[in-house]
Amino acid sequence: MVCSHGDPMEPDEPKTNGGAQAAGSSAYPGKGLGPRAALILGFSALLVLMVVLAVDSVRALHELETSTTQVRRDYLNRERALREIRGGIYDSGNLLREFADTEQSAETRNAYLAQLDDAKKRSTAAMRDCVRQSPQSLRGPLEKLSSQLDDYWRAADETLNEGAHKNYEARLRQAALTQRAAVLAITSEVSDVNELEFRQAEVDVSKVFAGSRQRLQGFAVLTVGVGFLLAISSILYILHLEKHAQERYHESERYRRELKALSKRLVEAQENERRAISRDLHDQIAQTLAALLMNIQSMTESRTNPDSLKRALQKIRLQAEECVQNVRNMALLLRPSMLDDLGLVAALEWQGREVSKRSGLVVDVIDNHFVDDLPDTYKTCIYRVVQEALHNCTAHARARHARVSLEEDSQHCILSITDDGVGFDPTRQRGMGLLGMQERVTQLGGTFAVESAPGKGTSIRVELPLAATTRSESYVS
Amino acid sequence: MKKLRILLADDHTVMRTGLRALLERQGNIEIVAEAENGRQAVALCSSLAPEIAIMDVGMPMLNGIEATKALLKESPSTGVVMLSMHSDESYVIRSLQAGARGYLLKDSAASDLLSAIQAVSQGKSFFSPAIRRLLAEDYVRVLQQKGEVDSYELLTMREREILQLLAEGKTNKEVANALHISPYTVETHRSNILEKLGLHSPAELILYAVRKGIIR
Repeated sequence: MVCSHGDPMEPDEPKTNGGAQAAGSSAYPGKGLGPRAALILGFSALLVLMVVLAVDSVRALHELETSTTQVRRDYLNRERALREIRGGIYDSGNLLREFADTEQSAETRNAYLAQLDDAKKRSTAAMRDCVRQSPQSLRGPLEKLSSQLDDYWRAADETLNEGAHKNYEARLRQAALTQRAAVLAITSEVSDVNELEFRQAEVDVSKVFAGSRQRLQGFAVLTVGVGFLLAISSILYILHLEKHAQERYHESERYRRELKALSKRLVEAQENERRAISRDLHDQIAQTLAALLMNIQSMTESRTNPDSLKRALQKIRLQAEECVQNVRNMALLLRPSMLDDLGLVAALEWQGREVSKRSGLVVDVIDNHFVDDLPDTYKTCIYRVVQEALHNCTAHARARHARVSLEEDSQHCILSITDDGVGFDPTRQRGMGLLGMQERVTQLGGTFAVESAPGKGTSIRVELPLAATTRSESYVS
Repeated sequence: MKKLRILLADDHTVMRTGLRALLERQGNIEIVAEAENGRQAVALCSSLAPEIAIMDVGMPMLNGIEATKALLKESPSTGVVMLSMHSDESYVIRSLQAGARGYLLKDSAASDLLSAIQAVSQGKSFFSPAIRRLLAEDYVRVLQQKGEVDSYELLTMREREILQLLAEGKTNKEVANALHISPYTVETHRSNILEKLGLHSPAELILYAVRKGIIR
């Protein structure tokens, strides 16, 4: 697990964003086909579906209306034609009957023939229209009707043309009537078929209607479904964004709290340090000096022999030595003068040896062509970071070996501290010590990275930027 | 008898006064100058060329170690005795590298200073007993922690002999005379010793000898 911080208040990580804080970054649009693009696409699809649905239903209604009208018109046309045919037949029957009843002159016969021809023309024209307009199913009965009609007219013509003879009237009546009955029977049959056809057409229309209704229903269901899905995904997306925002908020809140705790701790640490110094001054230095004074006092007052005087002086010397030792230790704890006298590498080596003496942790300090010319603030920062890190190594990591290395290139000073201790998960645990180190490094504009995992040891890497000006500062003093 | 000319460099007046009182009680010592910072010490040494300079490590302007380097360039015959509050080897090795031949802790100065002055004036090295003890302890501890073999075991008897003489401050020629061998042989031995012990400079060789308790 790696986690890295440039600045704790700046959530956007520079470089080594290994895994620890990478969670949630996928929620941002812009990488590939983000959820936002998907939602837009979905809504466009929904809109298209709705438009298609509307257009299709309008079209279906229009189609239905036209086909219903057509069906009805066809039916009515055929009925009219049939009525014409029937009318022609009735007219011709009447004509024939009248013809038989009246006197048989050439003039009247011609007049009757003309009238008959007219009736024939009307019914034949109607017949032709009817045949032309009829669907396949009506063709059979109509053809039959047509031929019967032809037969009828031929018989009527023949009857008229035969002229007067015996039984003429009776035969005329007979023929005309028989034919007429047959034709009328067929017309009524055709009418029935027409009726049937009409019903059939109606059924067909309703079938078409049912089909388009089904299609419309399908579209409607699809639209509703897509709409539902979109609504759900929109809600999920919004919830996700909300959660993300909340996480961000909590994170920054956590940083704020940590910083606050850190500054509080720094104040406390300062106070504790002062208290410790004050106690040391009082308990050790002042007491020893007081004892020393007392001894000197008693020496000046007493008149003992030189031997006991010498012993008393010996005692005073021991006390003074102790006093010097204490002062030296205190001074070292406050700030190792080595940092100023001998430079950073020497001070780090010394620190390594001190830690080593106290805890048994083996510390290697490696400097790779490190030109020990950093400004004071940098030296102090690195020194304190190493101090804290080594403290962690001994106090928490139970490490046996630690390696401190210092390098520099033209732009950076790079410090790394590695141990073979128990390690930890830097995303979960982050003690004040680490925060303090990070704070020091951040103040100098550097980057601070901790790499660790349980059982894998810990590695801290600090990079401090070296400006040309920062180096020359150190030569002033 | 000619008096030993000594320069005192320390930024604390109390310390200088104490040292002066201590040294002037000896009949054969003369304090030729006092300096209260490194630069002054260098300047005074280059004009006075004292036999011994007693130098505080922590001084303003120029610290004792840097001052020693500069001073020895101006007056190479001066023997420098470092006077320090610090018993850490960082200070000791850097002082040796700078060219100092004695290293004393301030709190034991009163008892050891005269021995140190005597040793250094004879061209030998001198370290406070406390320093010798600390360095030796550190050496053993580091060996134990790292589980390494003491490289001293790698040296032959003759090499150990030469190591001791060199560490006491003798030159190749002096060692050659003492052992009745050629200076070139001594040089060969010397580089073998440095190689075997993983050392790189005369200063490190002296520090090593102190740690091992070979010289005192």
